[in-house]
Amino acid sequence: MKRPLIASALGIVLLAFGGIILLPVIFACIDHEYSETIPFVVASACSLALGFFCRWHGRSARNFDLLRRTEALLIVTLTWVIAAAIGALPYLFFGLNPLDAYFESVSGFTTTGATILTDFSLYPKVFFFWRSLTQWLGGMGIIVLFVAILPQFSVAGRQIFFAEAPGPSEDKITPRIAHTAKALWLIYLLLTVLQILLMTFAGLPFFDALCNSLTTMAAGGFSPHPQSIMGYQNPTITWIVSLFMLLAGANFALQYKFFIKGKFRSLLSNDEFRFYLTIITLFSVLLCFFLFFTQNYTFSASLRDSVFQIISIITTTGFSSADFALWAVPAQAIVFAMMLIGGCAGSAGGGIKVVRILFVGKFLKREIDQIVHPKAILPIKLGGVTVQEDIQRQMLSFMLFYVVLMIFSGLVVTIIEHDAAVGFVGTAATIGNVGPGFGKIGPMGSFGFLHPATKIIFIIDMLVGRLELIPFLAMFCPDFWSLNRN
Amino acid sequence: MDILIYGTTEISYLIASRLHQQHNITILHDPDELSEKFGSLDARIVEGSGGDLAVLEQIEARKTDLFIACSALDEANIIACWTIKKIADIETICFIGKASLYKNFSSSTHNRYHVRYDIDSIIWPEKLLTKDIFRIISVPEALDVEYLAGGKAKLFEYRIKEDSAMIDTSIMDCKFPKNVLIPGITREGKLFIPKGSTTIHLHDKVFFIGVETALETLAVDFFKHDKKVKNVSIIGGGSVGYMLAEKLERTNKKVKLIEQDPERCEFLADSLKSTLVLQGNGTDLELLESEAIAAADACICTTNNDEKNLLCSLLIKQLGAKRVVTRVENIQNYELFERVGIDVVVSPKASALTEVLNRVQVQNVDVLALIEGGKGEVLRLTIPDTFKELQIKDLKLSANAIIGVIIRGHQVLIPNGDTSLFPQDRLKIFTMKEDSDKIKEFFFR
Repeated sequence: MKRPLIASALGIVLLAFGGIILLPVIFACIDHEYSETIPFVVASACSLALGFFCRWHGRSARNFDLLRRTEALLIVTLTWVIAAAIGALPYLFFGLNPLDAYFESVSGFTTTGATILTDFSLYPKVFFFWRSLTQWLGGMGIIVLFVAILPQFSVAGRQIFFAEAPGPSEDKITPRIAHTAKALWLIYLLLTVLQILLMTFAGLPFFDALCNSLTTMAAGGFSPHPQSIMGYQNPTITWIVSLFMLLAGANFALQYKFFIKGKFRSLLSNDEFRFYLTIITLFSVLLCFFLFFTQNYTFSASLRDSVFQIISIITTTGFSSADFALWAVPAQAIVFAMMLIGGCAGSAGGGIKVVRILFVGKFLKREIDQIVHPKAILPIKLGGVTVQEDIQRQMLSFMLFYVVLMIFSGLVVTIIEHDAAVGFVGTAATIGNVGPGFGKIGPMGSFGFLHPATKIIFIIDMLVGRLELIPFLAMFCPDFWSLNRN
Repeated sequence: MDILIYGTTEISYLIASRLHQQHNITILHDPDELSEKFGSLDARIVEGSGGDLAVLEQIEARKTDLFIACSALDEANIIACWTIKKIADIETICFIGKASLYKNFSSSTHNRYHVRYDIDSIIWPEKLLTKDIFRIISVPEALDVEYLAGGKAKLFEYRIKEDSAMIDTSIMDCKFPKNVLIPGITREGKLFIPKGSTTIHLHDKVFFIGVETALETLAVDFFKHDKKVKNVSIIGGGSVGYMLAEKLERTNKKVKLIEQDPERCEFLADSLKSTLVLQGNGTDLELLESEAIAAADACICTTNNDEKNLLCSLLIKQLGAKRVVTRVENIQNYELFERVGIDVVVSPKASALTEVLNRVQVQNVDVLALIEGGKGEVLRLTIPDTFKELQIKDLKLSANAIIGVIIRGHQVLIPNGDTSLFPQDRLKIFTMKEDSDKIKEFFFR
């Protein structure tokens, strides 16, 4: 009876997704490009048909209230894999081959922002709109969206919500999970609208303001402009995008309290957020220094680009206001360090997450202190509260898995591509959902010419990185499957 | 004054033995828990529960002026205080030993909405003790510190060491800063009130009363230390150890806390911010040495076991600690501790007793501080209007006492023989315990 339950849940997701995918149709109609609606109508039809099939297959199971953790994990993983597949369908109509289309789609939904496109002029506006929209949907999390809008997941939502939502702690803003999901989407939506307005005021055409805002708030990094934010040559735009990337990389639950509930202390007194700001400030100053003295930038340009680039990479957005692949090695090293950190827990950003870095820092400090004071009881505290033993272990093993996967994937890609920069930086950029790497896969480059095997590995990296390893790793456990069968 | 005491704990005995000669004491106790020493008291002893209305009515509790609930059980004390309020609006003092209950009854919001049934004052001996210890260790080298007149004047106790310039000098010849007096000296365990001709000996413990700035000059000139207390070691992480560490943390002192129970250690480490919590035994010499416990500016032994406190204190002293503050539970051990060379002995019961005595004293008089475990007292009294203006040297006091501070309006004066006393002056008088009644009589006859 377990397979019908999963099919049934997926059916609901697919039906809802079939509706969402029609949004670009409206966009195309407003644009009077009626012929361009076809790819999305077809994709929608596929999604609906598959959805109805799943519903029919799972007709015996309609009650999700007793969802097990493994089932929730499977549903979340399958949702992401299938949503990305459906989302790739429209790309096929624009001349992308199936693997490239899927790569682009996964890169979109996981808010990575790595692209296989080389010539942006070949594609219509609706194509870029869809690309941006996939990132926006993936930014807050597809599951969080469905928990918010679909009443069927009101109870089961808890399981699948925490299976998807990144971060080590389960912080809910409201007692009921559906309300929490709604609150998160509300703040996400409001910030996006605000950014669109500001960008329009700053002189950007509405289409560019829309697409860039959708991908900024998602910490995604797709831009309709081939040269990313650099292409607009507008300092105001750069600063606006910096600000909203900063917010995208911060915990949305805290931002909800901050902006909607007016609890101003909640954000600023948060250890993680303060550490996040500290990292950004520190490395921005450092990078600014390098740019000013080694790259012959003016002071305002070096400040702007360093702040922008540090925020862009640490939040795993991946926009570029300059081609950092051309910078000197010390500057590149700083950027690479940011790739390994990632956003705050509960944000749109990917990566290891600031809170885990903070924790590991405190963990190491504790080990040193323990040598000096062997009998001392030294708890590790985050935000004044002691971190429980099991959460400590969870965070440490996450770090370990992250590093192991990165080394493994990096080595394999290096072997395939004969290029260590592509191998390791590319892996860090995809597993952390950052997007561009260095060298030929840099911000002005493309992932398009990579070997198909590399693309498949990067697709897996992106999905695994977005789902924070755990659902992915759980599937390697044989019991995971046997438990689902009976 | 009619006083009803509920409970037969050590503290209830202390209160009763202190008051039974001047006041009518009734002791109410639960069945089968009366120790023999209560028999020596001149008091009425009734068996029954503090929460039993019938018993309270039977002993005519309505005529009582003050009700003190100090049985071993917090909840029983609270219930007893509430019950007696049903009979009449009697002032109640309730002893509490748990932090959660204390917070519940003594919060500031509680006072704001005080209703008839509420308890009038809550005493948590360990909380008072924490305050006392904190006050003492905040002054380097001092053995005792009391605040008079809201901290404008202070009472310090110092031990005279080998290198002191005061040894074998008479008080008259010592070049003290102005505004400092010596109201008392403890020599070989005996407290006495000195005269101008008294000479100061090695190892004397000398009290100084004075305004703050003058005492600071004294500390620098005669005790050669102007450095502040920075590091504190605490042994024993019970309520006192915990609250003290918390208080010290807030004043940015570095605190090391040793506690034996691993679970309690977890709690302490979780709740305290910067204190270094060490799990181990306070008598573990290796631990004390490796963590340099004795090197701290002040060491405090505050486990719940007197013998252990004594052992720890002596060990730490042996390791070269400058100041050791030790908690004593059993009042009888007080002198013993002093005799074997512990610098400062403190007791939650003495702290609580001061608080209770304040409530009991006649109007215009209360006890500010108990000195040397209750051998001396600092009285606060206001001169009545019937009193005629007089110079201190002409004052024919019937007992040994020193007027330490005079508060006239907003002025704080340290008097000498020529200072005149006026009605409405508020005095801080340092006296011996047995003379305190004579002093009160002298001013209020």
